[in-house]
Amino acid sequence: MQAIKELSIKPWFLGSLVFVFVVVILWNIPIEKRKYGLSQGNLATDYTGLLPERVERVVKAENRMELQKIVKQANKNGQQISVAGLQHSQGGHTYFKNGVVLDMRTFNEVLEIDKQEKTIRVEGGATWEDVQEAITPYGLALKVTQSQSIFSVGGSLSVNAHGRDIRFGSMASTVKEMTLLTPIGEIKKVTRDNSEEWMKYVFGGYGLFGVILDVTLELTENDVYTIHTEELKTDEYESYFNNLLDHNNTALHYARVSVAPNTFLDEMYVIDYNYTGKQDHKSSLKGEQGVHLSKLALDLGRQGGFFEDVFWETQKLYIDSIDGNTITRNNAMRSESTFMEFTKSGRIEVLQEFFVPVNSYEEYINDVKQLLSPNDKNEDFKVHNITVRYVAQDNLTSLNYAKEDMFGLVILIQHGLKEKEIANAQEIIQDWTSLTLEHGGTYYLPYYRYQTKEQFIKSYPEWKKFQKEKLRRDPNEVFQNLFYDYYIK
Amino acid sequence: MKNRSEEYIPLVVTVGQVAIFPYYIVWLKEVSLTFTLFAWLFAAFSFAAAWGYRVFQSKKNKNNSYIPFIYVGMGIVYILVGCIKNSFEILLYGVLLLQVILGFLQGYFRAWHIEQKAYHLHAVHHYLIVGVTMIGLSFVKIISPVVFITFFGILLCTCGFWTLIRKKKAELI
Repeated sequence: MQAIKELSIKPWFLGSLVFVFVVVILWNIPIEKRKYGLSQGNLATDYTGLLPERVERVVKAENRMELQKIVKQANKNGQQISVAGLQHSQGGHTYFKNGVVLDMRTFNEVLEIDKQEKTIRVEGGATWEDVQEAITPYGLALKVTQSQSIFSVGGSLSVNAHGRDIRFGSMASTVKEMTLLTPIGEIKKVTRDNSEEWMKYVFGGYGLFGVILDVTLELTENDVYTIHTEELKTDEYESYFNNLLDHNNTALHYARVSVAPNTFLDEMYVIDYNYTGKQDHKSSLKGEQGVHLSKLALDLGRQGGFFEDVFWETQKLYIDSIDGNTITRNNAMRSESTFMEFTKSGRIEVLQEFFVPVNSYEEYINDVKQLLSPNDKNEDFKVHNITVRYVAQDNLTSLNYAKEDMFGLVILIQHGLKEKEIANAQEIIQDWTSLTLEHGGTYYLPYYRYQTKEQFIKSYPEWKKFQKEKLRRDPNEVFQNLFYDYYIK
Repeated sequence: MKNRSEEYIPLVVTVGQVAIFPYYIVWLKEVSLTFTLFAWLFAAFSFAAAWGYRVFQSKKNKNNSYIPFIYVGMGIVYILVGCIKNSFEILLYGVLLLQVILGFLQGYFRAWHIEQKAYHLHAVHHYLIVGVTMIGLSFVKIISPVVFITFFGILLCTCGFWTLIRKKKAELI
């Protein structure tokens, strides 16, 4: 007792106590979450919150019959309906002015797993996390999913999402069967070879062709991969990737381009997940790891200038440290997302994605270099991150962004919310889109619509057909959203 | 009593700290996300104060106190707080550091102060002055607490420089 008493008054002991306590607090500072969605006051928003709108009511989907009744009534009464999942799309795809919003988050049951056939039947409002939790004990994994598991199955299919897999093609191609509530209120079972081509319009249809009630997804084995990481110069990437594609050793792949002032668009690092020939039936799914450290590092990068250089160097060190590690397919398909939370008032972080043909990548990056400022520390429009992923040619959907094999560049952008600042961001993104179009590329539609309608028309030449089919299948234009209003109508 | 700075400045610092604390707490509450974090930030302050207090007590030569620098240090912390106009991503991490620095300096100052001859008299006066000051402040309507916090920071820095100059002069004489 006496010894403890004496110890407690030693300055070095008190100093150590302070140090330990500070470390504990640093580790536990909660990450503030953005508030968005259907319960945001009287206005509905999506993840950006840039398009607040009043909706008539939000209906929590309870069962198929109820949903069918709502759709039939809407046809009769001239009401508009939108479909919302987790609302991570950013251009008002999930609501419409004075419309009814079907909140599908309660429609999240895993209905059936067929271990022999390697398939899962799951409701549209379930998240990829729900799917992964259900299939991991069977030693199964998804063929294609996004890099994070926080999105709903129906939502991901509606935006025709893509991920890190470079072997299984598009997400739409992994759907075997689907139950759809059509715009006129019919419940239909649709297969891939359906003569009416419902899948072509529902996937990548942004909620305009009905409600995805459930889907049957093809699965694969929960393979174990070794992680291979490498630092490259931007001009080496094309040949690196083509080599990767030619040899069948790699299952998943993505890359990141430097946006730090000293190495701006010059340096990249790549992360490959290589087959080991082993499968995993035991490992559990990983949770979010190192969120605080990642958030602190990203927040440092968000300061720009010197700190962005430090952030890039830190990322490289981290990436280098995971070289040679092993990971299961399911865990590789569920990256952390909480660390990206951004809640600074008066500012917003948004995503944009540009696609360019694989063989145009080098020239494209060189041109982008002329468009952007390498050091955006003192500028309102800041680019924080560019991730590169491969997107295989997609012939299955109508508004397809990959008319050939492409690289998708996902860009994390921050800008202010004043009218002038939004206009400035719009101008830069429109210039960037024009540049992308010049290189035979296109841009992704689930994000905020900075682009003009002309740019949309150039990017998606099939849009007229899409519009025609929409009116044919939904003659009363029951399914509507802000995206439809801006681009298609 | 050697000089006026020794007689009055510790009293100004003690009174000022108590009077400014409600404003500081309002500011801290605004930047903390939850009560838990608010409480932890205060705990960090308290542990650091115990550390600072003990560091001074353990000093062999208590006359060589660095007290002008302690005033300036506290002043800088308050000025920094006053300069933080907007919330930014790493603010909470910075606030934690400020809490530790401020706690250490205040603990050190308190340990030094009680060794001073005028301390017992200051103890009585400070209660009276704080009472009057708080009544006075209750009539002042301000938009943001950082106005007073910054003012107090500048006052502390002035006290620090003033004490330093007096000390140098006394050494020369």
